[in-house]
Amino acid sequence: MTTHDIYLLSPEISMAGLAILLILVDLVVSRKSILTIVAVLGLAVPLALSIVLWFDLTDQAATQMKADFGTEIVTFVVDKFSLFFKFLLVGATALVILASSEYVSKFKNFHGEFFALILFATSGMMLLASTVELITIYVSLELTALPIAALAAFMRDSRSSEAGLKFLILSAISSAVLLYGMVIIYGFTGTTVLADIATQLGGLLDGESAFGGNALLFGVILVIAGFGFKISSVPFQMWAPDVYEGSPTPVTAFLSVASKAAGFAVILRVFYIAFSAEILSVDWSAVFAVLAAVSMTFGNLVAIRQNNIKRMLGYSTIAHAGYLMVGLAAVASRTPDADAIIGPSGVLFYLSGYAITNLAAFSAVIAISNRINSDLIDSFAGMARRAPFLAGVLGFSMISLIGVPPTVGFMSKIYIFGAAVDTNLEWLAVTGMVNSVISAYYYLRVVKVMYLREPIDDAPVGSALPMKLAVMVTMAGTAFFGIYPTPLINLARSAVDVLVS
Amino acid sequence: MIELAHLQILSAGLFAIGTYGVLARRSAVLILMSIELMLNAVNINLVGYAAFVDFDEATRSFGQVLVIFVITIAAAELALAIAIILRLYRNRSTVNVDEIDLMKW
Amino acid sequence: MFSGWLTTIVFLPLAGAIIIALFVRGDKNVRWFAGIISLAELVLSIAVFAQYDLGAGADQFQLVDKIEDWIPVESFKVQYFLAIDGLSAPMVLLTGILGMVSVFASWSVKERLPEYFMWLLILQSAVMGVFTSMDFFLFFIFWELELIPMFFLISIWGSKPNREYSAMKFLIFTLLGSAFMLVGILVLFFSFDTFDMTLLPDAISRGGILLPASLVFTMIFIAFAVKLPIWPLHSWLPDAHTDAPTAASVMLAGVLLKMGAYGMLRISATMFPEVMAGIAWLLASVGVINILYGAAIVLRQTDLKRLIAFSSISHMGFVVLGLSAVVGVNGQVSTVGITGAALQMFTHGTITGLLFLLAGFIYERTHTRHIPHLGGLATRMPMLTGALVLAGLASLGLPSTSGFVSEIHVFLGVFPVWSWLTAVGAFGVVLTAGYILWMIQRAMFGPENQHLNNVSDATVMEMVPVAVMVAAIMVVGIYPAIIADVFTTGIQPIVDSLQIAVTANLQ
Repeated sequence: MTTHDIYLLSPEISMAGLAILLILVDLVVSRKSILTIVAVLGLAVPLALSIVLWFDLTDQAATQMKADFGTEIVTFVVDKFSLFFKFLLVGATALVILASSEYVSKFKNFHGEFFALILFATSGMMLLASTVELITIYVSLELTALPIAALAAFMRDSRSSEAGLKFLILSAISSAVLLYGMVIIYGFTGTTVLADIATQLGGLLDGESAFGGNALLFGVILVIAGFGFKISSVPFQMWAPDVYEGSPTPVTAFLSVASKAAGFAVILRVFYIAFSAEILSVDWSAVFAVLAAVSMTFGNLVAIRQNNIKRMLGYSTIAHAGYLMVGLAAVASRTPDADAIIGPSGVLFYLSGYAITNLAAFSAVIAISNRINSDLIDSFAGMARRAPFLAGVLGFSMISLIGVPPTVGFMSKIYIFGAAVDTNLEWLAVTGMVNSVISAYYYLRVVKVMYLREPIDDAPVGSALPMKLAVMVTMAGTAFFGIYPTPLINLARSAVDVLVS
Repeated sequence: MIELAHLQILSAGLFAIGTYGVLARRSAVLILMSIELMLNAVNINLVGYAAFVDFDEATRSFGQVLVIFVITIAAAELALAIAIILRLYRNRSTVNVDEIDLMKW
Repeated sequence: MFSGWLTTIVFLPLAGAIIIALFVRGDKNVRWFAGIISLAELVLSIAVFAQYDLGAGADQFQLVDKIEDWIPVESFKVQYFLAIDGLSAPMVLLTGILGMVSVFASWSVKERLPEYFMWLLILQSAVMGVFTSMDFFLFFIFWELELIPMFFLISIWGSKPNREYSAMKFLIFTLLGSAFMLVGILVLFFSFDTFDMTLLPDAISRGGILLPASLVFTMIFIAFAVKLPIWPLHSWLPDAHTDAPTAASVMLAGVLLKMGAYGMLRISATMFPEVMAGIAWLLASVGVINILYGAAIVLRQTDLKRLIAFSSISHMGFVVLGLSAVVGVNGQVSTVGITGAALQMFTHGTITGLLFLLAGFIYERTHTRHIPHLGGLATRMPMLTGALVLAGLASLGLPSTSGFVSEIHVFLGVFPVWSWLTAVGAFGVVLTAGYILWMIQRAMFGPENQHLNNVSDATVMEMVPVAVMVAAIMVVGIYPAIIADVFTTGIQPIVDSLQIAVTANLQ
């Protein structure tokens, strides 16, 4: 391991270091609000290191910086793709921490551990975006999943424990399925390095191996199943609503945004690097297209009946996983003259838009439900009068989740459906748009309850300063990128270049 | 003489038994054991591939390395799972997943 | 190119709404501020309309505001492109008039006043944007942007108990329509790599579209058909109208329905002349169905606003009927029928806007919209009665009112093409005369009602919008060229491309 390797790993290392620091600080300080400040300021370090890496990359005019840790096998790379996700993850984590500071103050102890677990999970996700080798991917996935299971079970009530247990069991099963798929692929190609898998497959698919085809496809399907769990796609979605409902709300926010982003990062990496062969890519694109259509329809239809806002948002993230998978299905090799990076760049653009919007929604939900001690949609009645600003933000983010202008949700939805149209998947775009109409029904129900119902009591609902900050940042982002999305799209497009070159 | 196919069949069988156990068992502890079975099925498969398939020198050890990682992580996973199950048992006095239904599965 | 006029006219109300949200306090101030904004908007729209150059050598698209690199990403080349042509100039004027009217018609709103005026102003911005956007993506943004204000206007300030249901129905119908339109837009974009509505007609005529043109046409047409609304997609309209507050009804009937008709002219007919000519028979039949169905349903309505709502369906049928002239007769396409359709958009906007306005005023005073409970109001509110009689007569197409001008254009233009259907459709005029006169007679004249003793006539503040609308109706009725000539310059290019398509079909 050379210093250069450490330099490439520095954002992840500093993230984990910050987590340990927080546990230590928790031991010595008595005013726990300091922890929030330390955590948010500390996040500037991984962010700064990522920015340094980005500029280093552009200075060298290189697409990738590789780390092999002295083994001559490249397991970890730094490129614009991984850095894009690192920015996204650090930003999302910072906002989640800001939004949870008030929530955490209700705990009797373990404040530092709560933040530390979030940061450990984030470091796993950041690794996930950078790994190019199956073993490392598995380890990073578990590094992401275990802290989240602990976080889900963080509260002492039985609901939270139940959420944690469900997440852990289903996550373990999905890991086993994923591993089985990985092993089959390893058995066929003799390697776990993604780029080498692609070269080996190139030979196998030419017909050298009679054994090839079906068993390999079985492996790919198992991998899709394993990853499908991480992004809560149908039919691997059953954990999502329960875990979303039972977990502490900041954890739900973190799960819906960061965990999903990391899942898509690793899916894009694996499928675009390892399974990029044309015959194979058309096959898995069809699988993703079907999963996308089923996920969005299922998520939206079931969400209509929900009364708990966290559970509703849980089903809504299943639907959004469906929209995101439209971008995975939009593989350029489906049609002769399609834009090569429109699908993956659509995923990245949509993910960042969804992250901003969903964090705005969750921040507002945390702020409100923390004060009124209820997650039921009906208890948000008259919130427009009790907390005009928070209700406005929640309403605006609901509009963004539907995909109505002038919001980033609108822009990203159109971009990703454009990818579907460009790759000859018009039916998927139509399905997606019809689904947005269905989703309008339940998203607007929240708006209706807040704006049309009489409040249960008239006491105004306030919020603390860190919460206000989180809400304002996300709200401004939703509106700004809804009007001028160019920088975000360009960033996403430059990030995915590395996948197709 | 043991061949790769034997190991593959053993592994597939174990994986299937594990999957059945996860779906059919009602005690959270037994479900965890079934998951262990699934993971170990994967391990057997890995070792089999690493031992029998004629890979090039640089990547020959990958299978064994992955086995070590799987075993380690499974241990960590179990520790956490047992902790959560204990918490749940204290709250609800049961580890039967049919009764852990505050929220619909 | 950036003249700035259209940008100002589109974003002034939006800016006004933001200023109200942030700075203006007190109901009275909000009211006056919104009034001033809407007056300024009216003045601007008159100025824009007056500046439109009818001359032979003038550009087709004028007052261009264009920023090409708004979103200059490959695969997503959206530009900011506002302009007017002969088709949109009168619509801008119409929106200016009705925007002002709807603000002044809301003078007596008391509940949650700042929010109310904010939504009203945002709605006006969105509609202005629809009529002036020449970039398909921008068009779609404004098309969708109009939904949310309307949703809130109906669901918060509408009449109980059905307002939430009606608002949601309106939203879902329109969203569903535009869902298909978006996919159509995207197909066009990825076929020709541009969202520019001024370039697309040429590109499409050269071929190379990814999906069959008729399929793309259908996807886009559905959105307009829902908005117009064409039978059988109309069922949202009576509910929305009945429950909407007065000002929202005025905007809905006056301009929002016109967005559908405008889209058919601007996009369906301009970009897909062949398909449009191919379905002319369908347009003619559906138009006649709309006219007769709407009129027949009106005859059994007892709710004043519901009555006007169904009469809207009937009158929008004339627009569709006028559009069916696109196929031409003996291979010759004329501008008359299509101009009639365009004129009907404008005149129906002013007439029905006025009818809804008056219905709103009457409801405020009598607290009932049930016609049998009204009656004998003429002596107590002579000014409102006079205005209602005039609006009614214009609605049934009395000569020297604007209603006559547009209907006669439609009949003259379509009769040579679809003689029988036109004759059947003309029967709708008879029905219209029947229900309008019956409505006025039952609601305003007849014996006086004891429980309506305390009602008063309109205040001066309320007569301002009424007077503006009456003026608009009379001016167009007496001197139709002021609007018709402008429309003709906008329709000429459409007819030219239709002519090519029809000629090609004959050969």
